[in-house]
Amino acid sequence: MMNAVQSGSVRTGEWESLAARQDARRARKNALLTSAFGAVGLATVLLVLGLVAAIAYHGAPTLSWEFLTQPPREGMSAGGVGPMILGSILLMVGAFLMATPLGVFGGVCLAEYGERSRLMRLMHASVAALAGTPPIVYGLFGLAIFVLKFKLGVSLLAGWLTLTLFCVPSIVLTTEAALKTVPAALIDGGLALGLSRWQTLWRIALPYALPGILTGIILSLGRAVGEATPVLFTASIYYTTAETTLGWETLRQPVANLPYYLAEGYRQPGVVPERLIWGACLTLILLTLLLNAGAILIRSRTRRRYLW
Amino acid sequence: MWRIRLFDSLVQAATWVAGGLLLLTIVAVFYYLFAESQYAFQRKFPFGFRIALQPPDSEYRNEVSMDPTASLLATHREGTDALDDAEDATRLPSHEELSQMQALVTATAQTDDPRQLRPDALFRDCMRAPKRAEQGERFLLLAFALPHYTGNRMVLAWEPDVSFDPAYCPYELRLRLVRAPEGVQVKPLEIDLRRQPKGSLELPVWKARTQEEWLQGYLFELEARPTTTTTLATIQQFLMPDWAPTILYARFGMLPLLLATLLITLLAIGLAMPLGIAAAVYLSEQASPRIREWFKPILEILASIPTVVLGYFGVMLIAPALQQMFGEALQLSSGRGLLATALMMAVFILPTVISLSEDALRAVPNSLREGAEALGLTLAERVRLVLLPTAKSGLIAAGLLAIARVMGETMIVWILSDGTPTMPDFSSPAAALGTLVKPTRGIPDTIAIEMGNVEFESPHYGHLFLLGLTLFVLTLGINLLGFAYRKRAQVVL
Repeated sequence: MMNAVQSGSVRTGEWESLAARQDARRARKNALLTSAFGAVGLATVLLVLGLVAAIAYHGAPTLSWEFLTQPPREGMSAGGVGPMILGSILLMVGAFLMATPLGVFGGVCLAEYGERSRLMRLMHASVAALAGTPPIVYGLFGLAIFVLKFKLGVSLLAGWLTLTLFCVPSIVLTTEAALKTVPAALIDGGLALGLSRWQTLWRIALPYALPGILTGIILSLGRAVGEATPVLFTASIYYTTAETTLGWETLRQPVANLPYYLAEGYRQPGVVPERLIWGACLTLILLTLLLNAGAILIRSRTRRRYLW
Repeated sequence: MWRIRLFDSLVQAATWVAGGLLLLTIVAVFYYLFAESQYAFQRKFPFGFRIALQPPDSEYRNEVSMDPTASLLATHREGTDALDDAEDATRLPSHEELSQMQALVTATAQTDDPRQLRPDALFRDCMRAPKRAEQGERFLLLAFALPHYTGNRMVLAWEPDVSFDPAYCPYELRLRLVRAPEGVQVKPLEIDLRRQPKGSLELPVWKARTQEEWLQGYLFELEARPTTTTTLATIQQFLMPDWAPTILYARFGMLPLLLATLLITLLAIGLAMPLGIAAAVYLSEQASPRIREWFKPILEILASIPTVVLGYFGVMLIAPALQQMFGEALQLSSGRGLLATALMMAVFILPTVISLSEDALRAVPNSLREGAEALGLTLAERVRLVLLPTAKSGLIAAGLLAIARVMGETMIVWILSDGTPTMPDFSSPAAALGTLVKPTRGIPDTIAIEMGNVEFESPHYGHLFLLGLTLFVLTLGINLLGFAYRKRAQVVL
């Protein structure tokens, strides 16, 4: 239409010129809007890079081997954040060990029986709701049940249980979603070979869905390790100048951890110098980035395995 | 063969156990949030008034609490039922001593039976333990002049104790004249202290010549009559507009916290949703696969940045900028406040919104895209006329999920809101701007801040659980709605 109008070989009547004007306007509007979409996308990327760069800029001078391994000294105003890092990792590993079986089998349960009964539909909805429940609510629940009712006290064990609860719903949902992506042909093939239903699940569906499941687990652990609120009242201690010793009694003791260190460091201004705060911020980000890198690696490694 | 069967049943058993545990968890979360909230309903309701008998020209007429001769009739929250009342009461000096110091006296006793009043057991103040809303309370107050008093009039003035607000008290509070001295003609008096918390009334002078005659003076009673049950009163107070759980006359009104949380959510979602959808459109419709492959991990990085760190980032960057913009005009001590919190919340939720919206847009079948393109629609028109309407359910689900996440996010509010419970005020543009930039406090950070130094299983603890329950019910509703929309999106496409 544009060409016809511009060539001039056709007498441009009123209708055509109107259409042309409208076309030009549409094109302008389109260009404006689409570049706006792109600009927002670009801005998001810049935002992320800016955030990470700013924190790296402030935190990098503090980062050193001593900072990462030494306990705080001189009433928290000097030294490193060794016990906090160790505590965060301890919390994460425990939550990983407990949440993984529960979450994966829960996901299998949903995928296998998902729409079959009213109970399972109810369960599906509740898990979805629990996955979006604020971490502070898990903190409250952990305080009420693990710390007070089970008399575990503010301890690593109570923190593990609370974090497990926090991680499980999202692991369940990602597992279920990953299992749903398994092609029916693979399942049918397995069944046709005479495998039982659970063997098909164990040997065929789960391996196929494994990258998705692993990614889900890692992402939810990454969220858990950076989240202060579930462990706020259940496992955390702020003031430590001693190195954490590992043993059975560690289970019953509160642990220092990075997010809580930062939260309290904010609440009690002037105790921990800003230098250390930024160092701890950067360390925490690096920890979560490491987990993320793992997830991305797993995804890109396993993506091509089942192409045929 | 038996090995296969054993293996089968093991996997099946594990599945069922996991499913059962999940169900149990869901029930337990509900149950324990409810169960711990019960401590809120064990609260007691304190009240307190200062009452003084003053000469008409008293300098303390409008500040009864400053009057050194004023009596304090109070039920404080600190008292327990077992507390010996005498320890908390100030004994009144003898007639001779008082005559030296002052001419007008109010006195009270620990009893609430006029027949048990004794001149040697009178006190300046009387403080008792607070009671539950079902139980009433009665204080007696004697008022008389000493022989040295020369004026011909005297004034009884009263005022709520400092930090006590009669609105936060479920009782019907009345100051009543029980008995006038012999030979004095006074009309019956009854004052509703809830409607008239502060005031004064003139009385004819009556002088007590001896300590024994004290008891024949004006006899007032301050009566707190129950009007409701503790449960109802607790709920009613929970909806009041002031949160001050640690003052002497504790107030547990969560309205400012709830409104702040809703306002932060509204602003953050209002900002993040359009931006997020725009970026999602770019990703799903315009970006080449290569760009998309780079974009997703970057989004995941943003999503994985711990909220504590986001909070610090806001303190470092956003708060100072806001301080520069509004600091002088509104006398802010820092840029931390509602707007800073909402901006950082938008950053926090942006990756979630983008990736969920992108999922929703990508679920739109390609046939629709191609059809729209074949009709000659530009990309912007395709988005507006085809993509967004088709992906509507998915986009709404994304928005609802984002709302629930923002509502419950704790650390950003904790660090950036500056922690003063403030009632939002939109009566004028200036007030609205003030509300936006001034310090505030939401529900989740209140729980996080106060749970650290609360006495377990106290009413305050119970109220924090009640706050948690409020948050849980709100987010649960939103999440379930989001779940329903997500299902619908799957059905439609």
